[in-house]
Amino acid sequence: MEIPYIVKPRKDTGLINSKIAIWLFLASEVMLFGGFFSAYVYLRLGADYPWPERTLPVLPGLINTFILIGSSVTVVFAWVALKLGNWRQFQIYMGITVACAAIFMVLKGIEYNVKFHHQAARLHDYTVVEGHLGYELKDGADTHHPKDGDYVLDRNGKKIEENMIRVVAEKVTFAVKRFHAPWVSEMLAEAEHAKSEIKLAADIKMVVEEGNEPVTLAKAGEPLSLDLLGKIRKAQLAALKHNASLRTDALRLEWKEAKDANPGKKGWQLASDVNIDVGALEPRLLTEVSTVEFTVDPPTRFLFKPRDIKEGAASSTLRDNTIITGAMEASPMVFHNLDAIDFQWLVMKAKEKGISPETAIANSWLMKNSEFVREAWAWHLVRNEKKQEVLNKRYGFKEDGKTPKQTLTHKELYRLGWKDLGEMGVETKGVKIGGVAKIKEEFMGPNYKARGEKTFPHLSVPREQIRHAAKFSPAWNTYYAIYFTITGLHGLHVIGGALVLLYYLVFGRKMFLSNPEWFANRVEVGGLFWHFVDLVWIFAFPIFYLM
Amino acid sequence: MSAHAASHDGHDHSHDDHHHEIPFWKKYIFSTDHKMIGMQYGITAMLFLAFGFYLMMVMRWSIAYPHEPLPEWMSWIFTDNWKARWLLDGKVTGETYNMFGAMHGTIMVFLGIVPLGFGAFGNYVTPLQIGAVDMAFPKLNMFSYWIYLVGGVIMCASFFMESGAAKSGWTNYSPLAGFADGQIVNQWLAGQTQWLLGLVMLITSSLLGSVNFITTIINLRARGMTWMRLPFFVWAMLVTGFLLLLAFPPLEAAGIMQLMDRVAHSSFFMPSGLFTKSDGLADLSGGGSPLLFQHLFWFLGHPEVYVLLLPAIACVAEIIPANTRKPLWGYKSMVYSVLILGFLSFIVWAHHMYMTGMGAAVSTFFQTTTVLISIPSVIIITALLISLWGGSIRFTPPMLWACAFIPMFGIGGLTGLPLAFNLVGLHLHDTYYVIGHFHYVVAPGILFGLFAGVYHWYPKITGRYMSNFLSHVHFWPSLVCMNIIFFPMLTQGMAGFHRRWYNGGDAYLDKATAATADGANVFANTVAQNIDLNIVMSYGAWILAVAQIPFIINLFFSWKTGRKVESDNPWNATTLEWATPTPPGHGNFTFDVAVYRGPYEYSRPDCDKDYYPQWEAPNKPVGGEPDKSADKGHH
Repeated sequence: MEIPYIVKPRKDTGLINSKIAIWLFLASEVMLFGGFFSAYVYLRLGADYPWPERTLPVLPGLINTFILIGSSVTVVFAWVALKLGNWRQFQIYMGITVACAAIFMVLKGIEYNVKFHHQAARLHDYTVVEGHLGYELKDGADTHHPKDGDYVLDRNGKKIEENMIRVVAEKVTFAVKRFHAPWVSEMLAEAEHAKSEIKLAADIKMVVEEGNEPVTLAKAGEPLSLDLLGKIRKAQLAALKHNASLRTDALRLEWKEAKDANPGKKGWQLASDVNIDVGALEPRLLTEVSTVEFTVDPPTRFLFKPRDIKEGAASSTLRDNTIITGAMEASPMVFHNLDAIDFQWLVMKAKEKGISPETAIANSWLMKNSEFVREAWAWHLVRNEKKQEVLNKRYGFKEDGKTPKQTLTHKELYRLGWKDLGEMGVETKGVKIGGVAKIKEEFMGPNYKARGEKTFPHLSVPREQIRHAAKFSPAWNTYYAIYFTITGLHGLHVIGGALVLLYYLVFGRKMFLSNPEWFANRVEVGGLFWHFVDLVWIFAFPIFYLM
Repeated sequence: MSAHAASHDGHDHSHDDHHHEIPFWKKYIFSTDHKMIGMQYGITAMLFLAFGFYLMMVMRWSIAYPHEPLPEWMSWIFTDNWKARWLLDGKVTGETYNMFGAMHGTIMVFLGIVPLGFGAFGNYVTPLQIGAVDMAFPKLNMFSYWIYLVGGVIMCASFFMESGAAKSGWTNYSPLAGFADGQIVNQWLAGQTQWLLGLVMLITSSLLGSVNFITTIINLRARGMTWMRLPFFVWAMLVTGFLLLLAFPPLEAAGIMQLMDRVAHSSFFMPSGLFTKSDGLADLSGGGSPLLFQHLFWFLGHPEVYVLLLPAIACVAEIIPANTRKPLWGYKSMVYSVLILGFLSFIVWAHHMYMTGMGAAVSTFFQTTTVLISIPSVIIITALLISLWGGSIRFTPPMLWACAFIPMFGIGGLTGLPLAFNLVGLHLHDTYYVIGHFHYVVAPGILFGLFAGVYHWYPKITGRYMSNFLSHVHFWPSLVCMNIIFFPMLTQGMAGFHRRWYNGGDAYLDKATAATADGANVFANTVAQNIDLNIVMSYGAWILAVAQIPFIINLFFSWKTGRKVESDNPWNATTLEWATPTPPGHGNFTFDVAVYRGPYEYSRPDCDKDYYPQWEAPNKPVGGEPDKSADKGHH
C-alpha cells in the first residue's frame, strides 16, 4: 500500500499532499497567533494603567528582524539549489538559515535574561520604581560600595537578594494533610544551620483503633522530621477514612428510619430532622488531628519568597497552610541600583480623583522619603521646561497665543527612565562614560558599574509600602505577559522550525540521492513554515518594540 | 491485497501488505491504519462517555436527594480515602459537585463526542467513502490519537490528586478558574492546571486530525469522485475539519494564556483590584480582562457545537437513503447549507455572552447572525425529513435511531430559538432551560445519530449484524428516558432553576420561604412547584444507564456470535465503503476504484436493482456510448 501524491502532484488539484497540509497547518497557526494578537489589542485598548510604550531595546529587535528576513531568503536559495541538484550550495544556504535561527535565539535569550533580572515595584500610591535588587548586607556595611565580606550569606554560601520576607519563627504549625515537604526540609536545614531545634510542642495522642485507648503517636520534644509528619498524616488519613465511613453508614440508617416513619413525605421536607446521632457514634470514632505544633528553640530566622507567604506582624501563613508564629523582621525591598522613577500611573489615578499631578507627586512616599528623588525631580522639571520651549519654538502656539500646539507626552512628563537619569548624572554630577562601556550600554541597557551610585542610587522600600512587585516578567503587567507569551511561543516555533531544517541539512543527503524531488518537496514545506515564523515576527516586532 | 502485490517494486514497503507479519503492537496499538485508529478512537471515546455518564449520575443523586448519602451502588467505585476527602458524611458536597459538573461537560464534549463522531466515524468511514487507501498522513493520524489519549488521561488523573479535578465549569471562566486550586504549592500538580494541559493536548490532536482529514478529502479521492459525487458524510467531515482547524487555535491561545496566569502569575484574565474572601486583595498585577477569555473560549465554543453535530447528521444522512431506498432529498442544498453553516458558525459566538454587558450593538449583531444560522440547520433537517417521504422505509436498527434523531434534534434546535434573543436571555440565561436545550441537541440528538452510525457500519467492521432484539431493547427505553430527563429541564428552567444548584434548588427553597413567609417570592413558589421533577429526572437517568447495558452486550457478543452478513454490501447501499472486503484489509480496496455516479442512486428506473452503487461500471450504456464519467477529475 502506498499513499499517492507524495512526490508528484495530483493532476486536478495540482498539489502534493504535504503542500495542502502545510497551508492548512499555517491557516491554523494564523488563527492561533491571531488569538494572541487580538488579545494584545484587547488588553492594550482596555488597559487601566499606563501601557509601557517603547520600553524594549530596539536595536537587538531590529537586528533580529533582519536576521529572520535574511534567513527566509536563504531558505529559498537552499530550496532552489536542491531543485538545481546542487547539494553543496544547499548545504551552504541551509547552514546560513540555521545559523541565523541560532543568532536570533541567542539575542532573544540575552533580552529575556536582562528582563528576568530587572525588578519593578508598585507602591500603594501607584508610584512605580524599577531597578536592580541589592543583596542583604551586614550591619554597618557601606551600602554604596559593599566589599565581598560585607554580604550576609545563606547556609549555602550564597548572597541573599533583598526581597525576602524574614520571620523569626518561635512556633511552626503544620497542616497535617497538606504540608509541602520541600518547605519542611528547607526549615529543617535552616534550623540546623542556625543550631536551633524544631521540636514537637505537645504529645500526639490518637485513638487509632476503634474502641481502644488512645496511643501516643509522638511525644512532646520529638524533633521535626518528614518521617514524623508522615506518620501523623498516615494516622490522620486512616482516622478520616474510618470516621467518614462510620458517619456515612449512620446517616444512611437515619434516612432509612426517617423514611419508614414518614411515608409520603419528600426528602426535603424531612431533611432538617435527619441528623447523625453524634453522641452514639462518639466512642467508635478515631481521633482526628488536623494540625501539629512545633516549637523552634531558640527562635530562628526563616526567609520566604513574598509569593509563598501571607505575612503578619505576629504570625504568618504559608501557602500550604503552615502557620509560622513569631515576629516579622523588617523586610524591605532594596534596590541597589534604582534606574527608573515613574509617576505616570500615580498621575493617572490622581487625575481620576481630581487631584493635580504636582500635589500628588509632592505627596508621594518616594518624594517624601528620598533625597535623591527630590533632587532628580527638580532637575527633571527644569529640563522639561527647556524641552517645552524647544517645542514652542518649533511648532508655535494655538490661536489664543498661550496654548502650545505641541506638548510633552505623558511619559516624558512623569517618567524618569535610566537614560534621563544618565543625562542627569552627566549634567550635574560629572559622570562620563565612553568607548566600549557606552556601546555596551546602547545594546544591553544601563551600565551600572561605569555610572555608579551618582546616577543610579540605592533605595530601600519598606515592605508595607509595596502593593505589587515582580521582575520584568509576565507577572509585572499585561504588557510583559503578552510580550513573553507571543515572543516565547514564536521562539518555540523558531526552535522547532530550525530543528527540522537542521535535520534536512544533516540527514538529508541519503534522501537527496535516492529521491531528490521528494526531498525538495520536504524542504519546500519546511521553508513555507519558516516564512510563516518570519511573518509572525514582522507583526510582533512593531507592536512590542516600536508602538 | 493481491491487487497491490503486482505493483511491488522493491524499495520501501516491507511493512504494508503482509498482514501476518505485522506484530500485535503495530497492528492493534501503534497502528497507522485509519480503520484501526478509528476503532481505537471509538472504544476510547465510549469509555470516556461512560465515565462522563457516571459523573452525571452522581450529580443527579445530589440534585434529587441533596441530604442523603450517595447510595452504595454508586459510591463503590471510589476508594475509602477518596470518599473521606470528597464526600461529607457520604453526601456530595458543593465542591465535589462542581468538580463532577466541570468534568462531565469536558469529558462529554472533548473526550467523548468529538472523538466518537470525528475521530472514530470520520477516520473509519471517510477514506473508504472517497476510495482512498488510507489517510494522507497515517503516522500523523496515529499521533493524533495518542495525543488525545494522553490529554484525556492527564485530565482524568487529576481526580486523584490533592486538588481534585477542575471545578470551574467546562467553560473554565476566569477569574474563577484563575484562582481555583490556588492553595496548591506546585501549580503544575493542580487539577485546574492539568485541565489546561490536557486541553492543549486535545487541541493539538484535533488540529493534526483536521489537517489530515482535509488533505485526504482534497487529494485522495478516487478516480471519478468529483466534489458533487462525494457522499454527504464526507462533506460534513470536510466542514468539521475546517471548523476544528480554524476555531480551536484561539482556544489554545486562551488556554496558554490561562496557563500563564496560573504558573507565571500573569493577569491576562484577571482584572485590577480582585478581592477574595479567603485571600484578600489578590497579589496580581491586574489589568487583564475576564471578558477576553469568554470571547476566545466561545470563538471555539460555538463552532464546537457544529463539530459535535455534523458527524451525527452525516451518519443519519447516510442511513436514511439506504433505508428508504430513495435518493437523499436535496443533496445539493444540503451541501451548500452545510458550507454556509460552517461559515456562519464563526460569527455567532457572543450569543453565549449576552449577560456580560457587551453593549446593545454587539448583542444585536450576534442576535442577527444567530437567527440566520438557524436557516441552514433547518434546511438540512427538513431535507432529511423529506427524504423519508414516499420511501419504502425499512426499520432496521440504524434507521430507528436515525428516525428518532430528526424530532429529537428538532426539539433541541427549536428550544434554542428563544435563546437567540438577548431579551429572553435575561430570563433564561444559566437556567435549566439552557441545559435542557443543549442536552436535547447533544444527547438524544447527536448521540442517537452516532448510535445509528454504530449499528449501520458494525456489519462492515465485524462482518456480523448486531442483534435486532437487543437493539430494540436499547432503543425504546433510551428514547423514553432521554425525554424524561430533558423535557422537565425546560420547565424547570422557565421556573427559575439555576444550572449550578448542587442541591437541586433545595437550599434556595429554604432560604426563599424563610425570607418571605407569605410566599410572595414568585420564584419560591415556582421552585416549590417544580422541585419534585428532580426525582423524576434522576430516575430517568438511572433507567437510561440500565438501558445501555443491552447495547454493551450487543456490541461485544455480536462480534463473535452475531448473524453473519450475506455479502460485502449487507444494506445494499451505494457508497464506496460497501465495495471493500468485510472487514476491509490494510489498503482497503481489492480493485482499482473508479466512481461513475452520485452517492445516493437508489431506485433508478434504468437499473434492474433498486440501488446503483457508485463503483459499478455501467453495463448498459445509454445511447450506445461507453460511460466515461469516471474519467472526470484526474488520471
